[in-house]
Amino acid sequence: MDELELLKKDWKRQEKRLPRLSFDEIYNMVLKRSSSIVKWIFIISLLEFAFWTLISFGLKDTEAIQRFDNQEFRSVLIPMSIIGYAILAYFFYLFFRNYRTISVTDNAKKLMENILRTRRTVKQYVAFNLIYLFISTFVTLGILFKQDDQFKNVINEATANGELFKLYATTIIATLFLLAIAIGLILAFYYLIYGLLLKRLNKNYRELKKLES
Amino acid sequence: MNKQLEHNFVELLEKHQNIVHKVCRLYTNNENAHNDLFQEISIQLWKAYPKFRGDAKFSTWMYRVSLNTAITLYRKSKRRVATQEFEGVQFKIKAEEYDDTEERQLKLLYSAVQELNDIDKALVFLYLEDKNYKEISETLGISEVNARVKMNRIKTKLRSILNP
Repeated sequence: MDELELLKKDWKRQEKRLPRLSFDEIYNMVLKRSSSIVKWIFIISLLEFAFWTLISFGLKDTEAIQRFDNQEFRSVLIPMSIIGYAILAYFFYLFFRNYRTISVTDNAKKLMENILRTRRTVKQYVAFNLIYLFISTFVTLGILFKQDDQFKNVINEATANGELFKLYATTIIATLFLLAIAIGLILAFYYLIYGLLLKRLNKNYRELKKLES
Repeated sequence: MNKQLEHNFVELLEKHQNIVHKVCRLYTNNENAHNDLFQEISIQLWKAYPKFRGDAKFSTWMYRVSLNTAITLYRKSKRRVATQEFEGVQFKIKAEEYDDTEERQLKLLYSAVQELNDIDKALVFLYLEDKNYKEISETLGISEVNARVKMNRIKTKLRSILNP
C-alpha cells in the first residue's frame, strides 16, 4: 500500500481520539485577545511612527536649536520640516492601506506577501528617517560653522594657527563616528525585534517561493 | 459584535472543531501549545467570520484560516511549558489494532511527518484530509502542478524512510 494511504487510514481512525471542547469553552476562547504577529507588527509600527515623530518634535525646542534661531536657519528648517511631515503622512497612508489588505482568508502565499509588504513600508520609513537624520545633522553642522559665534571664534583661532583643515576634518569625522554608532544601534535593535518576530514567516515564505521556482 | 452572530459562529466551530484540533496536533508538540494555537485559530476565525460568505463551505473556509494561522500568524507562546513530547502521545497507536509491521511503519511515518517543514506539513495535512490538488494549490497559493510535484517528492521521501 502507498505510504500516505496507510497514514490516511490511520489518520481517520485517530479522529475519534481528538479532544472535544464544549460550547462555553470555545466561547471563552473567542473572546480572548489575539497574539498574532500581525497584531505585533501593527503595534510596533505605530510605536515606530510615534518614536520618530516625537524625536523630530523634541529636537525643535532644544536650546542648541534655539541658539541660532534666525532667518537663514528658518529658511532651511521650515522646508525640511514640511518635507518630513509630508513624507510621514505618505508613509502612514501606505501603512494603513497595506495593513487593511491583510486577510487571513487569502491563500497562504498572498497573506505572507501582504504582511511582508506592510512591514516593508515601515522599514522604508525608518530608512528615510535615518537618511533624514544624516542630512539634517550635516546641514545643522554647516549652519553652526557659518553662524554660531562660539564656532566662529574657534575657526578664527584655527585659521590663525593654520589648522583649519584639521578642525574641519576632526569635526566631520567625529560627527560621522557618532552617527554611525547611533544608526548601528538602531539597526541592531530592528534586526533583533523583526528577526525574532518574522523568522518563521520568512522561512515559510521562502519555502513557498521555492516551490514555484 | 452581534450576539446572535457570535452564537451561530461558536456553534459552527464547536461542530467542526476537529479540523482545528488536527491542525494543532500537526504544528505543536505539547498540550499547552496545542491549546494556545487552538485559541489563536478560534480568534482569527471569529475575526474573519463577518466576512464569511455562504458560497464556500464553512469547513473549507476553516481549513484555510486554520492553516494560515498555524503557518503565518501564530507566535509561539511563552507560556509554553514542556510537557510530554508529541511523538507517542498525540498519535497513540494501539498495538492490538495492527500487526507489528504496520505499527512500526506508522510510527516511522508520523515521526517523519513531524520532521517536515511547515509548508510540507500543510500539503500532507490537506492530502490526508482528502483535499484534491486544486484545493491544495488554492489554499497555499501555489500552482496545481507544483503541488503535485511536491507531494510526489514527499511520498518518495516517506517511502525511503520506510524502506531504507
